[in-house]
Amino acid sequence: MAFAKKKKGPKLPHAEVELDLVPMIDCIFLMLLFFMLCGRISLDQRTEQITVPPTKTAAKLKDPNGWKREIVNVYGSTQAGSPPRNSIRIGTQTFMSEGTNNYKGYIALRGVLDKMYDQVEKYDDPKPTHMKLPKCIIEIRADADTEYRVVQEIQQVLSDSVDPATMQPRKGVTPETARAFVNIDFTTRHPGDQ
Amino acid sequence: MASSSEDVGEGKLDLVPMIDCIMLLLLFFILTTKFSTEEKTITSLLPTDKGQAAASASKVEPPQSINICIYPAGMDKGHEPSEYQAQLDAMRAGGANTVIPKAWLRIGSQDPIEINGDKLRQKGGEQINTEVDMIHAYIFKQLEGFEIAGDRKAQNPVIINCFSGLSWKYALVSYDAVRAYEAEKSGKKYTGDPKQFDEAREVDFAPPRIRDYSAKELGEELFEIVHMK
Repeated sequence: MAFAKKKKGPKLPHAEVELDLVPMIDCIFLMLLFFMLCGRISLDQRTEQITVPPTKTAAKLKDPNGWKREIVNVYGSTQAGSPPRNSIRIGTQTFMSEGTNNYKGYIALRGVLDKMYDQVEKYDDPKPTHMKLPKCIIEIRADADTEYRVVQEIQQVLSDSVDPATMQPRKGVTPETARAFVNIDFTTRHPGDQ
Repeated sequence: MASSSEDVGEGKLDLVPMIDCIMLLLLFFILTTKFSTEEKTITSLLPTDKGQAAASASKVEPPQSINICIYPAGMDKGHEPSEYQAQLDAMRAGGANTVIPKAWLRIGSQDPIEINGDKLRQKGGEQINTEVDMIHAYIFKQLEGFEIAGDRKAQNPVIINCFSGLSWKYALVSYDAVRAYEAEKSGKKYTGDPKQFDEAREVDFAPPRIRDYSAKELGEELFEIVHMK
C-alpha cells in the first residue's frame, strides 16, 4: 500500500522547505484591517451590560443640527456585581445612587451637568419662562431593572429644580439662573428585537 | 542538482498556516461577538413652566387627572402603611437590591392587571410581545373610558404613579402605551419636533414624594399608590 511504503521510505523531499508565509500574512492583514475599522466600538458609550426596556412607539430620530447628545447610563441587575444596581455612568465617570437617603452621587452628577451646560449653545425657552435652555439632548439609557426612583431623581437633577444635596426644592434659583436640561430621551428597543 | 530538478510547481499549496489563522480568527469572533440590540429612543420634554411645583409632590393631584398606578403585585387595598412596609420587606428579604418580580397596574377603580417583570426583560420571542400587548390593550381600554369632548390637548392629563422601588420598565412601558393610544387617536406620529408636545395631551411621570427619604416612608408611599383614585 502506498501509505505503508511512504512510512518506510527515506525522509520526505520537502521536509526542509521553508514555511510558506503568504497565506498567514494575508490573514494578518485581514485582521489588521478589521481592527482598524472596528476599533472605535470600544469607545462607544453604550455599554453592553444594560438591557433597555421594550416599547412600541419608539423611533430612531436624527438630532437637530448643532445639538449635542449625552448618554446617561443607569445600571440594572444584569451584571455580576459591578457596577452595582442603580449606579449612574456618564462617559467614564460613575455615580452611585446607593439608597433612599444617600445623595452623594447626585451632587457629583449636578457638577458634571453644570460644566456641560456651560459648554453648549443655548436657546430661549419657547414658553415665556425666560429660561436659557441648552441645545443638548440627555439620553437616559436606564436598564429595565433600574429602580424607578433613580430615573425620577435624575430627571429632577436635570431640571435643576431640586438641590442635589437634600433633594428638596432648590432655593434661590430664578428661571434666569437655572441650568435646566429639559430635552430627555429614554433609550428603549422594540419588544421583538433580539 | 536534485533540488533544482524537483517539480515544486505542481506541489499543493500548503494550507496549514492559513487554516491556523482562520481558526484563530474564528475563535476570536466566537468569543468576542455580542449581538447588540438596535436601540431607539422615546422623547420627553421636562416642563419648564411649572417652576418649583414640578418638584413638589406635597401638592394634591388635581382630581381630574387620570392616574396609572403601578405597585408590587399582591398589595391589596385596605391595609395600614406599616403592613405594606412589611410586605415590601418580605419581598426584599434577599437584600435591598432585590428586583421585585411582579407588578400590578391599575387605572381608576378597576381591578389591576398583573405584569410579569421577567417577561419584559426577554430579548425576542413570543412572551415579551404578548406581555407588552396585554399592557397596551388594558391601557387603551381604560383610557377610552375617560375620553371627553375636544381635541387631544383638552383630554385630562395622564399621570404615571409608579412605586419608587419597582423597576423602571413598568413605568416606561405604560408611558409607551399612553403614547401609542394618543398616536392612534390623533393620527399623528411623533416626528422629533418639540412643538408637538404643545398640541398633545399631557403625560407625566409623577414626581417622587418629597421627603427626607428613608426606607420607613416606603410603606406610606405604597399606601398612597395602592389607594390612589
